[in-house]
Amino acid sequence: MALSIDALKEKFRNPGTAELELIARYAMLPESGQRERAFEAFAETGLPHRRMEAWKWTDFRAALKQVEASAQGSQCAPLPAFEHPVIEFTPEGVTLPDTLPDGIKLHPRDEAQALGNAEEVPLGAMTAALAGRVGGMDTLIIEVNAPTDTPLHIVTRGDRGETNFARIAVIVRPGATLDLIESHVGGVGFSSFLIEIGMQEGGVVRRTVLQRGSADEAQAITAVVNLGDTSEYTQTALAFGANIARLETHLRHQESGSTATLNGAYLTAKGFHADFTSHVRHGAPASVTRQVTKGAVLDGGTGVFQGKFHVPRTVGQYTDADMQHQALLLEDGAQVFAKPELEIYADDVECAHGNTSGTLDPNQLFYMRQRGIPEAEARALLTEAFIAEALEEASDSVQAALLDAARSFLTETVR
Amino acid sequence: MRGMLKLENLTATVGEDDEAKTIINGLSLDVPAGEVHAIMGPNGAGKSTLSYVLTGRDGYEVTGGSATLEGDDLLDMDPEERAAKGLFLSFQYPVEIPGVPVMTFVRTAMNAQRKLRGEEEISAPDFIKKSREIGQKLNLTTDMLKRPLNVGFSGGEKKRLEIFQMMMLEPRFAILDETDSGLDIDALRTVADGVNALRSPERGMLVITHYQRLLDHIKPDKVHVLANGKIIKTGGPELAHRLEEEGYDGVLGEAA
Repeated sequence: MALSIDALKEKFRNPGTAELELIARYAMLPESGQRERAFEAFAETGLPHRRMEAWKWTDFRAALKQVEASAQGSQCAPLPAFEHPVIEFTPEGVTLPDTLPDGIKLHPRDEAQALGNAEEVPLGAMTAALAGRVGGMDTLIIEVNAPTDTPLHIVTRGDRGETNFARIAVIVRPGATLDLIESHVGGVGFSSFLIEIGMQEGGVVRRTVLQRGSADEAQAITAVVNLGDTSEYTQTALAFGANIARLETHLRHQESGSTATLNGAYLTAKGFHADFTSHVRHGAPASVTRQVTKGAVLDGGTGVFQGKFHVPRTVGQYTDADMQHQALLLEDGAQVFAKPELEIYADDVECAHGNTSGTLDPNQLFYMRQRGIPEAEARALLTEAFIAEALEEASDSVQAALLDAARSFLTETVR
Repeated sequence: MRGMLKLENLTATVGEDDEAKTIINGLSLDVPAGEVHAIMGPNGAGKSTLSYVLTGRDGYEVTGGSATLEGDDLLDMDPEERAAKGLFLSFQYPVEIPGVPVMTFVRTAMNAQRKLRGEEEISAPDFIKKSREIGQKLNLTTDMLKRPLNVGFSGGEKKRLEIFQMMMLEPRFAILDETDSGLDIDALRTVADGVNALRSPERGMLVITHYQRLLDHIKPDKVHVLANGKIIKTGGPELAHRLEEEGYDGVLGEAA
């Protein structure tokens, strides 16, 4: 029996046009208890907006008046996959690779599956509720049960589509490793990707993300990561933003001795907004977190960094965590908002953070110009060098491509 | 012989409009191709200001006079155009460029200059060969040349990297601003050897220094004394020795 749209609408406070369209989409999907819970969680907030503390700088409700097709197809090539397997999500459907390396199994599920926590993030809940497809896959589960060298690529993109909602759950078995490379390259009015990663003892995941949308698109990339005993998670993201774009990561050290690296760089030009938000809970002793976020913003561009380390009193002992955010305002009219937060209740920890924003050093620029490097080229080179540190931990197979993407953006836009 | 670098009655100020101070005050100087001239002078005489005015740094405004290099008006050009024209400044305080390795930096600079001059880029093998040869002469290892420019280098190493860049870029005219400061005796010799290797009939140099010591290694054709923004005395290498013995006060007292 189809769900009643009127009944669903009741769950929202003053739903806007975009929310009504999302409700209508949900109503068309088959009923599922899991998805219903996610939908209820989404209905609590609706599209997140500026009156919510965590969304005060990234207001999806204001940016998404209605769900409309993007005026153009994807403007950015995905990261090069070479001969490696690619999973592609488009508004039309999912394409799965014909062959997979030993150690990786795909389990497409008609029923929604969850590792938990996604409901805590409004757009994570929304994606969990809407990722289903009529008569198709609801969640894709990737099971990794051995060390794998071959990168696995995930691409989300469209060609003037309206929405692209996709959900993946990754289970990393003890001692297994995964090199995961994601390209979220837009071409869709509203795309939202949810990935939940559960890591078991000694698991290793290297996740590398490229985000690039157009100036009329909204994009959300939400990751919920749970780290088991001595597991290692390394994330590197390069974001160029969209009309509004949020890369949100919720990470929990659930068992002791795990290590997380959360690096990112954002480069935004006029009309583009990129938001890096992360929440790390040191829910087990002696876990390590390293976070380096760098950004460079041009006139009319916006960058947001919100980072939180939460270290509870008992379980958080011997935490070792460091959070750094550094932004370059390349021109007048560039905007960067930053909120680093350390919430520490344990008493035997090492936690540090640093947060700076500034402009390029005129001494460096003059020095370079004296050597014959034109000003725009000098600015681009200094900016590239500045953000490169945040990309050092990217997967080897795409690190050069990430730097190339940053370089060509800077060469084209920096004056 | 016609001057290569020719300054006539140059006047320049430093600082914002309402607080601008005249630091260069009617300076005239003529350095012919093939010659090395030294400029000596007390603190605050305007030595470093002169090097920044000639290379076009922001915040230094020329209010009168002229400065030409091989007949071209330097003051009309952006800093990078002056560099492409062949003007090189060895900085008193070389600037750290984090994240950009020495080799990448020099190659970028070299190709940028070539592009501005309408020349072909240097090929990768030619560049590597040349940088190895010059690096060896200056006791700069390949490892050092792979590190970010001036980051974590000692004062002496930074000065050697300035000379490395000069030898790589082969400028028409070089200004060395207190290249001797921060150098020990061995490094001073290495740097001087590098500079001397670049002396040629087609190239001019201006060596700015406080001390006569550097001039024992880099023999100047002429020595000028700069005080209060202008050249107040010019002589041969012996003038540097007199300054060393009598001090600026002695020599300046006589000039005044």
